[in-house]
Amino acid sequence: MHSRRVEIRFPGTHEGFAQGFAQLLSALDAERLQGVSRYNSELVFEEIVDNIVSHGATDGRELQVHVTLEARRDAIILTFEDNGVLFDPRGLPDPQPPKSLEDAKIGGFGLMLVRRAAAGPLEYQRTASGCNLLTVTVQRAD
Amino acid sequence: MQLQVGDAVDGILALALIGRLDTPGVDSIETQLTAHLVPGGARAMIDLSQVTFIGSGGIRMFITIARALARRGGKLVLYGAQPLVAQVFETTSLNTIVPVRADVTAAAAAARS
Repeated sequence: MHSRRVEIRFPGTHEGFAQGFAQLLSALDAERLQGVSRYNSELVFEEIVDNIVSHGATDGRELQVHVTLEARRDAIILTFEDNGVLFDPRGLPDPQPPKSLEDAKIGGFGLMLVRRAAAGPLEYQRTASGCNLLTVTVQRAD
Repeated sequence: MQLQVGDAVDGILALALIGRLDTPGVDSIETQLTAHLVPGGARAMIDLSQVTFIGSGGIRMFITIARALARRGGKLVLYGAQPLVAQVFETTSLNTIVPVRADVTAAAAAARS
């Protein structure tokens, strides 16, 4: 079975985010990923890592992020491991559709977009070493 | 992310965004875009045909600016979104609270109404 793994490690900072994203793009380029699959892979990375960087160190800890990209023939599997505060996204509801511009909430869209981009439910566990481990599968349509 | 400012037509500001509305893109443009549109309570339309990516940060930015404009009697209209960007608008229901149109003619009509 066609399967290639790329490991991406970076500090959980804005600069680290940029470094990690550049490595993701290289990996997606190597897979010649295009179209919806490409967009969804970038979107999942953007939203998950932004969440980690923005909210993972509320107690001032130094964040480290480890992303594994597994490229299969029919899917891109992205696994995000971080040493941030415990965060299990599975139970969080999507925001309700806004009734008006004035009432519209501005939070919660990131996870909603990840769920829509994913093929199947998000997989989460808190590891024995106290890390968040989140796996998102993006269907490959190319 | 770049902001291009075109000529106003019938008092409607015409702008274009070029690039990615990801986290760094939004960080680089939000202050400038807000300063350009909000203080005067503009009626404005933004060409998104050259925006290749949008995430939740971009959605948040448009809601914030559109709401600030509406409170001042202005209006924000978006148009020309590429299909995957338009899909994000639908998923987040942005298009139910901020007018999203296919082209500049429809956008101008929406901005005037």
